[in-house]
Amino acid sequence: MTLAPGALAARAHPFTPLVVTAAIAVAAIALPGAMATVALYAATVILVLATGAGRAALRALVPLAPLWLFLFLLHGVLGDGSRVTVAGLSLSRDGLTLAVTQGARLGAIATASLALYAAFSPARFVDAVAERGWPFSAAYLVVATLLALPRFRARAVVILEAQRSRGLRLRGSVINRIRAIGPVTFPLLLGALAEVDERGFALETRCAAGTVRRTALAPPADRMADRMVRWAAALSAGAAVVWRVFG
Amino acid sequence: MNARLLALLPAAIAINLVIGGLVNALGLPLYLDSIGTILAAVLAGPAVGMLVGAIGQLLFGLINGYQWIPFGLIQLVIAALAGLAAAHGGFRSSSVTLAWGLLTGLVAGALSSVISYVLFKGVTATGTTAVVTLLRQLGWSLPVAVTASSLLLDLVDKAAAFLLVGALVRALPLRMMGRFPRAARAVGR
Repeated sequence: MTLAPGALAARAHPFTPLVVTAAIAVAAIALPGAMATVALYAATVILVLATGAGRAALRALVPLAPLWLFLFLLHGVLGDGSRVTVAGLSLSRDGLTLAVTQGARLGAIATASLALYAAFSPARFVDAVAERGWPFSAAYLVVATLLALPRFRARAVVILEAQRSRGLRLRGSVINRIRAIGPVTFPLLLGALAEVDERGFALETRCAAGTVRRTALAPPADRMADRMVRWAAALSAGAAVVWRVFG
Repeated sequence: MNARLLALLPAAIAINLVIGGLVNALGLPLYLDSIGTILAAVLAGPAVGMLVGAIGQLLFGLINGYQWIPFGLIQLVIAALAGLAAAHGGFRSSSVTLAWGLLTGLVAGALSSVISYVLFKGVTATGTTAVVTLLRQLGWSLPVAVTASSLLLDLVDKAAAFLLVGALVRALPLRMMGRFPRAARAVGR
């Protein structure tokens, strides 16, 4: 979690941002036309700002910028159909509409998911899952992977540096670079498999694979407001699907 | 699910998510984001591989945006084919592994092109989209350009991923092989 502890998204029940993000993704795919999708993107950005995860809207621009550029090039510039001239540039009218619709869809989904990541607290999520009586292994898989990622990334950097220092060429001809794939990936893969053994024993001693219901020490509060937000989000997504199908 | 599988899954998912960064450092047009899926399918069966692919895609979406979630379907297909290959000794030699990798690349590329065209209007990962844009400028229609670029990149990518996993599984120490009996069948022992 990278939010201030007082932020609304950080205080919400862990399932609330999950359901809201899923609802935004469903609505983004279901809503037809440029106007509706642009409105959804705007609403998502406002929601993210209001809940204290505003930086996610900015961070989402990093993956979105190249996508928007290629949408503009592929559909706006190279698209078929009637043409319109904008600032001396001949653009496809239908292609532009398609690019804006798709760009807004991707914008809404990316912004909501990065806000969810910013608000996600592994410890609170495990407690919330335990409180519901859901299998511990499901929560463990999500949380253990999220915690393993920085460790694996750090190990990958160490491997790259070690291989460079022993003279492995990571640049140059394509053949050289293909030859380097093994030396940079094998240590990471073998290290991961060696770790599986140790962790397997550690998990066994903690009965991690057991099916007995666990008791959460400090389960996050599931307030009426949280439940209402989740229902409203699910109903809105359902309404968007109905609008798409019957509208 | 036993404790060893519970330990294998996060490692395999992390491999899927991290190894792409390593390959990026080499400047090669490969994703290699299915190595963990293939490895899990070979060591513990296609169902485990599918679980790795599905959870990996969910977590990738959490970190990078859920817009790519439909591509999770491809991970399931890769796990199924890797599991099938392992059951038939498909990792016993480099040439057999390459054949299975190319077959998987063909299926994954075909599926990827449908998802790219129908859901993303041809604009997905930057490398693939750059090829699509180039082909469009050469006068190819959008569906043909998307199909050609997806097939080309997936054939190379999945063949490389299968070859890597094959070399790794063949090099596994006997002690480790004993813990994952399916791996022994995959390499024909």
